[in-house]
Parts: sequence; C-alpha cells; structure tokens
Amino acid sequence: MGVRVHGKESVRLTLPGGLGPECLREEWDVDIHPQESQVLAFWDTFEWGLWFGGHILYSSGGAYHLCAREGGWPGAVLCEERTGTGPRFWRDFETGAMRSRLEGMLGLRGLAPVAEGTFRLRRCDVRNSTGKIVSRLEWSSVSAGKRRGEDLLHSCRVLPLFGYEAEAARVVEHLVRQGARASGDGPVEALLRHVGRVPRKYTLRPVFGLTMDTPAREAVGRIVRAILEIAERNVPGIVNDLDTEFLHDYRICLRKVRSVLSLVQDVYPAEETRRMRKILGDLARQTNRLRDLDVYLLAREEYLGLLPPVLRPALDGMFKDFSAEREREVRRTTSKMRAASTRRLLREVEEHFSPETQHEASPAAALPVGALVFRRIYKRYLKIRRIAAGIGAETPDEAVHRLRIEGKKLRYLMEFFAELFPKEEGALMLRQLRRLQNRLGEFNDALVQQRSMMNYWEQKRSGSKVALGVGGLVAVLYRRQQEARSLIDVALEGFCGGSTAAAFKHTFKLVSTPETEMKRSARQ
Amino acid sequence: MKILSSYSIKGGVGKTALAVNLAFALREAGRRALLLDLDPQGAATFYFRVASAEKFRMRDADSLAEGLRRNIRESDFPGLDIIPSNLGYRHFDILLDGMAKRRRQLRKVLEEFKPDYDVILMDCPPNITLLSENVFRASDAILVPVIPTVLSRRTLEQLAGFFRDEDLPERMLRPFFSMVQKRNKMHREIMDDLPASYPGFLKTVIPFSADVEKMGLHRMPLLAYSHASPAAMAYRTLCDEILSLAGP
Repeated sequence: MGVRVHGKESVRLTLPGGLGPECLREEWDVDIHPQESQVLAFWDTFEWGLWFGGHILYSSGGAYHLCAREGGWPGAVLCEERTGTGPRFWRDFETGAMRSRLEGMLGLRGLAPVAEGTFRLRRCDVRNSTGKIVSRLEWSSVSAGKRRGEDLLHSCRVLPLFGYEAEAARVVEHLVRQGARASGDGPVEALLRHVGRVPRKYTLRPVFGLTMDTPAREAVGRIVRAILEIAERNVPGIVNDLDTEFLHDYRICLRKVRSVLSLVQDVYPAEETRRMRKILGDLARQTNRLRDLDVYLLAREEYLGLLPPVLRPALDGMFKDFSAEREREVRRTTSKMRAASTRRLLREVEEHFSPETQHEASPAAALPVGALVFRRIYKRYLKIRRIAAGIGAETPDEAVHRLRIEGKKLRYLMEFFAELFPKEEGALMLRQLRRLQNRLGEFNDALVQQRSMMNYWEQKRSGSKVALGVGGLVAVLYRRQQEARSLIDVALEGFCGGSTAAAFKHTFKLVSTPETEMKRSARQ
Repeated sequence: MKILSSYSIKGGVGKTALAVNLAFALREAGRRALLLDLDPQGAATFYFRVASAEKFRMRDADSLAEGLRRNIRESDFPGLDIIPSNLGYRHFDILLDGMAKRRRQLRKVLEEFKPDYDVILMDCPPNITLLSENVFRASDAILVPVIPTVLSRRTLEQLAGFFRDEDLPERMLRPFFSMVQKRNKMHREIMDDLPASYPGFLKTVIPFSADVEKMGLHRMPLLAYSHASPAAMAYRTLCDEILSLAGP
C-alpha cells in the first residue's frame, strides 16, 4: 500500500472529490467538528526564499504565521505575529523569533503576496469502541481567492495519537482503499499552480548548455539571451520598488552582457557590438545614482556602528537627505525605465541577440567556443599575475583598482563558461579569485565611500555637527581602507601562487588551438 | 522535570480524583504531563478510557523503563499522556525487592522520561509497601488528600511517623484538605487545627462535589466536562499552588 504511519508523524493524503469523513463510520465512531473557513494570503520573495528555505508564510486577519513547509503543505506553525502595518522586510516584524528566522531567508529581499486562497477545514476525532480517541483527522479543501470557488484540492491529514499508531495506520489504509493517495501537490502547491506562481529557483548564474564545440556566436548568443531574460524579470520589482535587490541584479545583468561582448570579441560584427555595448552602458547609467543611494542607506547601521555613540546623531541629517533624495530618484528612475524610449532600447538589444536575427560574418563567429575562451581565460590570468607582481606598499590606489577590474572580467569569463571545465578545479580557482575580489572590493568600497562622504560634505556645507560626523566616518573608512590593503597581499599570494597557478595552467593552457592555428596559417 | 505523587494510606479520600484532575490542570497550564497509574484498581486509567497496559517483563530497571515507555498512551487531551494500570503492577514489590538499591530504583527509571515531560504524576495504591517507599524517594512532592475527619488525621499521623522512622524527608509531604463540607462542624474544627502540625500543608481546599463522582459516567476528568464548577476551580488553584512550590 505504500502509506505507513511512523511514530507520531502525520500522514497527508490527497482525496478524490466526493470522499468525506463519513466514510470512516463503517468502522469507527467519528465526531465531526463544525467546518472552519479561513482566507489565507501567502507571502514570499521574488527568489522564493521562504519556499526554498523550507517555510511557508501566510497571513490571515492581520496575523502572520510562519510554518515549516512539508512538501506543498503548511506544517507546524513555528512563530506568529499580529501586526497592523503590512510588513515587507524581516525588520518590519517585531518578535525576536520571527525576525531571526526570517532574516536568514529574506536577507535584503522584500515580501510580496503570491497567492490568496480560501481554506475549509473539518476536524474529526476517530474513536474506538470504548470511546477513546485513537486518531485525529483534518479534512480540508482549498479554492483560489476570497470567495468560495472551484475546489482545487481535497486533502486529509491523519494525526495518530501516541500509543495508537496502529489504529491510525488502519484509518489510512481504509482511506487509501477509497481512493486516497499519499503523493501529489499539497494544498499550497495546488493553489500556487492554479494562480500560475509555481516556485522557481532564481539564479544569476544560469546553465547555458554549452559544450567545447559550440560555435562561439551561438554560445555568446545563448549567454546574452539568458542574462537579458533575468534582467527583464527584475524590471517589475524595480518599477514597483519592492526591494533594492532588483536593481542590483538588473545592473549586474547589464554589466555581464556588456562584459561577455568585450571579453569574447569578434563574435558579432564590431560596429554592432559597439552599439549594443553603448545601449547597455546607457541603460545602466540611468540607475547609477539610485544604486549609490541604496548602498549608503543599506550601510546606515554599519556606518553608525563605526562612530562612537556621541557622534552618531550627527549623521542623522545626512541619512535623511539620502532618504529624501532616494525617493526623488526612485520616481525619476522608474519613470525612465517605464518610458517607451527605454523599453525600445531594451527590445533592440533583445532582438539583436535573438536566434532569428541574421548578422554579417565575423572572424570568431564559427570557432569552437571552448578553445577560444580557455585561451582568453589563461591570458587574463597571466595578465593579473603581471599586475599583481608590480603591486607593493607604495603602489597608487589606481593600480589596485585596475587589478580589481581585471579580476572581475576574469571572474565573469570563468562563470559564463564554468560548464566547460571540471567542477572541482573550477571551484578551487573561483574560490581563490572570489577571495581576492572580496579583499579588493573592501578596499575599493572604503575608498569610494570616503569620496562620496566628502562629496556630500562639499555640496552641503552644512553645520559643524554634520562635519564632525562625516569627518569621523571618513577617518574610520580610511583606516578600513588601509586594513583592507594590507590583506590584499595574502589573497594575491593564494591566487597567484603554486596550486592555483597550476590549476589554471592545467585547465586552460592549450597546446594548440584552432585560433592559434588560424593565426599561424595566416602569417605563413 | 518534577515528579509528584498522589498518595494516601487510606482509600476513598479523593486520591485518584486528584491525580486525574491535577494532570488535566497541569496540561492546561502548559506543562507536558505524564500520569502513571500505579494503582492496580486502574481507576485513573478507566477515567481516560484507556485499556490496561500490556504485560511486560520487569526484570531490572532497564526492562521496567522500556516496558513503561512502550505503554505510554496519548490521552484525548493533547499534552497529557498516561501509562495505564496493569494488574501485573502488584508484583512491583517482588521486582523491587530483588534489585540493588531497591528503595531508589523508581527514581532512576523515571529519570528516563525527563526529556519528554515537565511533570510526572503518579497515582499510587493506598498502602505502605516497598513500592510506596520507592514512590516517596522518587517524588519531589507527595500530595496527600485529607478528609477533615478523625480517621484521616490518624492516617496522616501514621504516614508522618513512617517518614520519621525511615528517615524520609518529611518536608516532601504535602497534605491538603479534600472532599470538604463546610457545613460540617467537625470538618471545620479539624481544618482549624490540623495544618499547624504540618509545615507543608497546602492552602487550597477541594470541596466535596457530586460532580466529581460523575467522572465515572463521563469517563473524563471533571475539568473536561464541568469546566467552571467550584471543585474544578479548586483543582486549578491547587495546581497553581503546587507549581509555585520551590521544588528541587
């Protein structure tokens, strides 16, 4: 039969439409409690952080309930909170239990309603011949929306009582004989499917389905299309200002597409590529200021923590200014993004990379992408090592910044084409690279933030109290920059040294490639 | 985890009514409770509609713990489990007699249930045996229902004497008045006088109630079918008083 009751675990069954708890009366006394009906709104993030984190969050009458997710079923309620204001972020909740559980799963992501359904529940007690309850049942059905509509799913949960598991197993067997099934969607999954919101994993690093022999133009086309699609999916979240991650990811996508076009050159005609890169650059630039403001405001608590308590109020005015500017900037940016001209530009890029669009021939279009890219990866690795070798305590900040840009290009290249090289070695190399990038990023962030703070001060020239706060912050950021700088050496050693260098050479250095062959024959 | 026992040398004093209703009140107060029915008459078991425990071999402390665990039954009231009575428990004395540290074995067995319950409550048979002595040594408090009559006073004195003779901690004894009829002059007099001799005497008084006697008809605790009756309220107050005792 395949359905068993283990210990105190309950069994969830999907039922045929007409089957009610009355069918159990052939063998047991059954008390059927009055039907309860509830409209539940389900919440999750764009990334389905709760769903894939094994949880379900629903609200009903102003109370929010966080449950463990058991397949498509809401399991035990882990914590609940009644709140009048519609919470969007984990910090909008008040109870510690709710905040700490949500923080890990939501991060910077905002909650949005994903579906609403009406749940009807009839609780039943199944009794033996002496009148003792031996099993409890929850008979339920779900329909979409607030009003009773077509039932999407009938289900039943059999809850054994400790010491009476055998009786519960008999109840389950009885229901299975009547057509109940242990598999299938749970009610929440059925509801999400019905409203077209099936949880889907979100990633900025999709699989492109490349092989070593994929022609370069086809490979790049696939990468660009996949990343543009992700960019597009983020647009509604930006326009509705749901959270700051939408814009962040949108900008990463634009940068990645620009990057792949310059990193794998000669795949499309040069003039067209220049045009595409320009459009993508313009689209990203529209959002620069908003992203800067997001970064400052997200760092608010961190910045305040850097200052002694007595100086903290001095920064209030600055953050107020940033907040107000952000509001204006959101309006400006979203109206730009909604504008027909912007949509047209994005369409143009999409059409350009559509598989149907015909392009002129270009030198590298038909080459197998594997050899082409491996050579470029290895070249770039050697280039970074060359720059790194010249970096010392006296090197100007600009050179360190250049190192970071080169590192970023290498990282994108490796991430785009990660499918082409062995996972384990790839992971090792990328780990070292990311470690280096993190150090360089910390250095660069500290530097850029000092400049931004100084810029703010230059423009505002506000009272001495603010000056004190900004001055204090700049001092701490400078110190942080120096600390980050001193850590770069260690990260560079890991990235340029023995095992990483060997892995790069072993993986990417090809004895001869079609491209080198082609060049060689052209020279002859 | 606290271990409580409901005990009296004398029968018919409201000992099982205490065990059953206190167990219910404990779960109402959010405590996970296990009721262990050690009385071979099995009245507590009957009130919860549970069948007698399955027989199991009681050879040593481990097999006793395992047998008890296998017999745990969830009552109809979530948070309250029961280990039903079994006629075999009348052999407890013989079993315990054969063990090393025979006066302390029960405590060791019950410690096993610590992770699963906040309170274990034992309903004990009305006699003084090796099992009772084990119960005394296992309990954090021994709750003794006392009807305010001369006979009850005498059995309480006997019990206190036994504690002194056997070097048992007398402060564990927690008598309280049960089945009290306020209009009865003798009841009033004994109630005025008796608690002074026992420092652990509880303040709560359980009144006599015909509702309590109907538990046999309903086959459930009084608190489940007569939620707000004076006796039910008294059991709840008693529960609060017991929970507020500074136990070990």
